[in-house]
Amino acid sequence: MFKKYLVLLGMLGMPGWVQAAALMGFADSIMVMGEAGHDYQEAMVNYSPVVGHAFGIEQMRMEDEDGMESSISSLNYTRLIKRWNMKGGQANLWFTGGVGHAYGDGGEGFAYTPSVQFDYETTRLYFLGKLRMMRGPDMNFDSASVQGGFSFYEAGFDETQPWFVIEAKTMRNMEPAFQVTPALRLINKDYFLEFGVSNPLDEEYRTPRINFMFVF
Amino acid sequence: MRKIAFLLMAFAIPFSTYAASIKAEVNGMVCAFCAKGIEKKLKALPQSQAVFVDLKKHIVVLELKPSQEVPLDEFKAIIKDAGYDVSSAEITDKSAAEIKAEITR
Repeated sequence: MFKKYLVLLGMLGMPGWVQAAALMGFADSIMVMGEAGHDYQEAMVNYSPVVGHAFGIEQMRMEDEDGMESSISSLNYTRLIKRWNMKGGQANLWFTGGVGHAYGDGGEGFAYTPSVQFDYETTRLYFLGKLRMMRGPDMNFDSASVQGGFSFYEAGFDETQPWFVIEAKTMRNMEPAFQVTPALRLINKDYFLEFGVSNPLDEEYRTPRINFMFVF
Repeated sequence: MRKIAFLLMAFAIPFSTYAASIKAEVNGMVCAFCAKGIEKKLKALPQSQAVFVDLKKHIVVLELKPSQEVPLDEFKAIIKDAGYDVSSAEITDKSAAEIKAEITR
């Protein structure tokens, strides 16, 4: 338990960038999640005392279509509203809400970031839909995204499983507002890594993107 | 006297080394990263000898140390706390390695 708190404290000092994909670990676990792209970075660390609830901290940085930079530092709560455990699959409905401080080129003040997410996964197929508000003073980065993917083959519990995943996402005040990101996802029991390229067919907006998750 | 001692030992050995496993079918277990909690929690049990997880067959096996036991309700609660549901569970005298060999055969 002490080791987990050390990890959590260590993450508090990490630079502000990173984002999330699955939203919490098992009971009494810490999850670290991150996303890094050209004009959007997010990092989150949360602790799940019991299955279905997690409390964490989050840091985001966005650069909008006018080149204005904004950041949000928040405390957040993640709730597994409903989980469907099926013989060959699992579906989840999540709520995440963050409240904190927004700051940047456009000013500063109170920020809030509620979201809902639905995902469904088998050992071969994957789907996710997410709606998120990201608001602060004169700040609106609301987004909607869907992801779908498939694994190249079934893998054992101790093996790494590769997936192809494609995401379509709209985000207000970003350039471009609509982004498509195909990605290679690698999952094993110790980590979740994703390497993608946003807007691969658009030379002007083509940018690499990385997602990761670790659970302790 | 030596014969009696030998007889006692001969009877005692099989019982003292007797080991059992709990074999369960678990619903919702589709990803190794997500199911890590199951392995971690079961391995942390003092009675645990070995743990085997098979995602394709949705099977979890907890092999117990000799003469140890874990009530099925406690086992199911651990799986539940990891976020999954046990659809069936049984106690078997096979080891985790034997069950793994059967499944992967």
